[in-house]
Amino acid sequence: MKQPDSIPSDKQHLSMTVQRYRPEQDDAPVWQSYQVPYDDSTSVLDALHWIKEQQDSSLAYRWSCRMAICGSCGVMVDGTPKLGCKTFLRDYPKGLKVAALANFPIEKDLIVDMNQFLHHLTALKPYLIGQPSSASEPNRQSPEQVKRYQQFANCINCGLCYSACPQFGLNPEFLGPAAIALAHRYNLDSRDQGKAERQPALNSKNGVWSCTFVGFCSTVCPKGVDPAAAINQGKIVSTMDGVIQWFSPKQLDTTPQEPTS
Amino acid sequence: MRQLKTDILIVGGGGAGLRSAIAAAEADPTLKVTLLSKVYPMRSHTVAAEGGAAAVTLQHDSLTAHFEDTVAGSDWLAEQGVVDFFVKQAYQELVQLEHWGCPWSRQASGQVQVRRFGGMKTERTWFAADKTGFHILHTLFQTSLKYPSIQRLDEYFLLDLLVHEQSIVGALAIDIASGELLRIQAGSVILATGGAGRVFQFNTNGGIVTGDGMALAYRHGVALRDMEFVQYHPTGLPGSGILITEACRGEGGILLNKDGYRYLQDYGLGPETPLGQPQNKTMELGPRDKLSQAFWHEQQQGRTIQHPQGDVVHLDLRHLGERYLLERLPFICELAKAYVNVDPVRAPIPIRPAVHYTMGGILTDAHCATSIQGLYAVGECASVGLHGANRLGSNSLSELLVFGKVAGEQAATHCNQVRISDSVLQELANKAAEPIQRLRQGDGTEQWADLRQQLAHTMEQGCGIYRDEQGLSASLQVIADLKSRYQQLKVGDTSLAFNTELLHALELGFSLDVAEAMCQAALLRKESRGAHQRRDADYTKRNDQHYLQHSLACYQAGQAPRIDWQAVDTSIMPPAARLYGGAAKPEAASNTEKTK
Amino acid sequence: MSRKPYQPSMPANWWLKHPAYRFYMLREATVLPLLFFIGSLLYGLYCLSQGEASWLGWLNWMQQPWVMALNALALLASLFHAFTFFRLFPQVMPLRLGGRTLPASWMVAGQWLGVLLVFLALWWLLGGYHGSN
Repeated sequence: MKQPDSIPSDKQHLSMTVQRYRPEQDDAPVWQSYQVPYDDSTSVLDALHWIKEQQDSSLAYRWSCRMAICGSCGVMVDGTPKLGCKTFLRDYPKGLKVAALANFPIEKDLIVDMNQFLHHLTALKPYLIGQPSSASEPNRQSPEQVKRYQQFANCINCGLCYSACPQFGLNPEFLGPAAIALAHRYNLDSRDQGKAERQPALNSKNGVWSCTFVGFCSTVCPKGVDPAAAINQGKIVSTMDGVIQWFSPKQLDTTPQEPTS
Repeated sequence: MRQLKTDILIVGGGGAGLRSAIAAAEADPTLKVTLLSKVYPMRSHTVAAEGGAAAVTLQHDSLTAHFEDTVAGSDWLAEQGVVDFFVKQAYQELVQLEHWGCPWSRQASGQVQVRRFGGMKTERTWFAADKTGFHILHTLFQTSLKYPSIQRLDEYFLLDLLVHEQSIVGALAIDIASGELLRIQAGSVILATGGAGRVFQFNTNGGIVTGDGMALAYRHGVALRDMEFVQYHPTGLPGSGILITEACRGEGGILLNKDGYRYLQDYGLGPETPLGQPQNKTMELGPRDKLSQAFWHEQQQGRTIQHPQGDVVHLDLRHLGERYLLERLPFICELAKAYVNVDPVRAPIPIRPAVHYTMGGILTDAHCATSIQGLYAVGECASVGLHGANRLGSNSLSELLVFGKVAGEQAATHCNQVRISDSVLQELANKAAEPIQRLRQGDGTEQWADLRQQLAHTMEQGCGIYRDEQGLSASLQVIADLKSRYQQLKVGDTSLAFNTELLHALELGFSLDVAEAMCQAALLRKESRGAHQRRDADYTKRNDQHYLQHSLACYQAGQAPRIDWQAVDTSIMPPAARLYGGAAKPEAASNTEKTK
Repeated sequence: MSRKPYQPSMPANWWLKHPAYRFYMLREATVLPLLFFIGSLLYGLYCLSQGEASWLGWLNWMQQPWVMALNALALLASLFHAFTFFRLFPQVMPLRLGGRTLPASWMVAGQWLGVLLVFLALWWLLGGYHGSN
């Protein structure tokens, strides 16, 4: 068998077991094992490429940047959500199992349906609200003000946190870690005035209160976003919101509503 | 075949596509804007840009200076009217992005921070740490969600443009999830499909950067301009080619050969600057073409360092200190640790040049319009004339904002639906569907992966940093051979849903055409200019007398393209020697006109 | 139809499937021995109101080895819960001082210092009682 340039054949091999699901022929996912050559620099994504180019061209997975920034290649590696391009075979000398991201519907092999995720992301109005559009100069924002939200702006939308979240697994309507972290990012931005528009959805039963602080979302986040922190800080905001409403005169009362979109 | 009717179809969900979608939606909210992309927009390769976006910002800077840097950087092959427009618009576009929430890095005063960049006279590069492209892309994507008239077709793959009597009437796409074909009727179409760096073996680009839009416009008779100019970024990681931003050098990083010597001073970029005191347009802050060429010479002379993944030099950042590195270059620290097991705080990063950017592209006028009525192109897939023979780092992120806006507004103004009967449209769509039907039924013996591998190999061999007639001719021969073998392709995966093998096969078809245009243009440009360097004895110098012209690659079915030549707009700044480092000082002093 | 998404379902024992989930469930399960401890305490209060015999009976019951073991478990559980809680606290309420967020490790250390101080205060109070006897 021919080997591509990137992985010479004289290398050591290990067994990589990959979840397959071919919707036109399978009723449920099955496992398939491959003996994959590897060296110190071989990532799970490289190994998938090797399988696709040398063993089975029908293997389907998403990928693009290879440098952990585009967020395409999320997979389960031995049951833990990981970016394929940033997970290395050298760390699994006894072999590994690669599966589609948990908690999402599987479309084909390692490709899952991300539409629910995008729907949740959109529901929380993740953009600056209340900016004048005509100003010709930038707003001032101190480095400290940037720091307040910067961590939550680093989300690459890879979806690993949704795979790590049992609450999302149990209730796909839960807006989930990345979406809430992004809403929190805008709520913390000194330039934004949209908190009141985002809060109803955050306060709703599928908002922050669906989280039980398992905390695994933050563990698996490849970018240190710490969505669990965002959600649980959101609970404090939500509580304050409730307290304020309780004491507010009636005309200011804005009853929490389900998101309409 | 499903059908869809829209006013404006935008292909590509990267920075240029998103910016034009927003511009179109703002220009006329009653128009239906459809944004089609083969990946979710936030996966687009804009995401990987690191260093920043250029615009004249500081008091002591001037539009003239940015103009001069860009034109000199282009080795006088930029369209000067376009550059002039660009430098004037860039600032307002970056401010616009600020108003949309982009987390630009700030000074203590709260004002936007700017950093040094290669080939730029002064600090004018706005940045968001070292993930500027990521933040620009996500800011644009998130902002686009505000506009109800923008409808997305995520994970749809463009198969062909539908052109009727030299006017665009729509496009044919495939829904990747189901494999169904979608016929789209559109009043105007914007191509924002990105570059073609993946035709090379060793590149900084994502897997999606395969030249799709370039090839499709080209096959419909739109010329590809200046395709021989392919930018090697001087600092990619060995093995993977992962990008290590120019901002490393902007912040003061230095390049060392195996003797620990700052070799750039030997290549017209000196004198050596003191450690920790980088100087604009000098040493490590020279332009990318010169730095990549210097590496090549060091390699030839055996002064590079042996690394398990090939020859490298060292990028040393240690003197910047841990705190500064984690503030300014956190992503670089993360990448170096993950992919070459080096902590830049403690050790130099091994790097080598890697293909990064396609300067050339779909020929457009200054308004992003192509020769097909209603078809626009913008961003890396286009050649609006900004970069010429060599792009300056941080000009392209600004480009996709400035010209994304232009393209969106133009497409909105000129999106009158061409009157076309449904049957004619369907006929066009059926014809456009033929290649994919052939691939699906193909019963040959050739494998997509083999062909792609050989293409990437021959491009690296014949069309790399230095080129000669022999190598280019050999590559053209290989490409011709690959194109004929492509007709015998066998797609093993016969399924409809997420048939990524089929998509890779289609991308390979696009890449072959684009690669051929690159080699043919390179073969016929018998001079050395910017990123195009010839080793043939008579062609090692710039030759303004014969080649102060754009190359235009014109598609010819079944053979290499015809190369036409187009005059360059040099109306503002006449051609002169391109000097950096100490040699540039007298020249720089003579034209420091302040316009801002 | 080529598209046929496979809907995965969460098995009832999902919480046994990953170390992170087992850790989470252990954290949540600390409530069980604590419930026993609080129940015992409430029963003690009730006994106190029922006269001396009842109170002594409760004291006797509390000294049975299995009750003592369960209460020791409750102590361990509450320490473990505190350990997990203290680690999560900086995520929920990051403290900012002069524009900088306090390092999480400082906040965790601060909380344990608080625990230590409470223990010392209690020890001093109880020690004082025995001392005067």
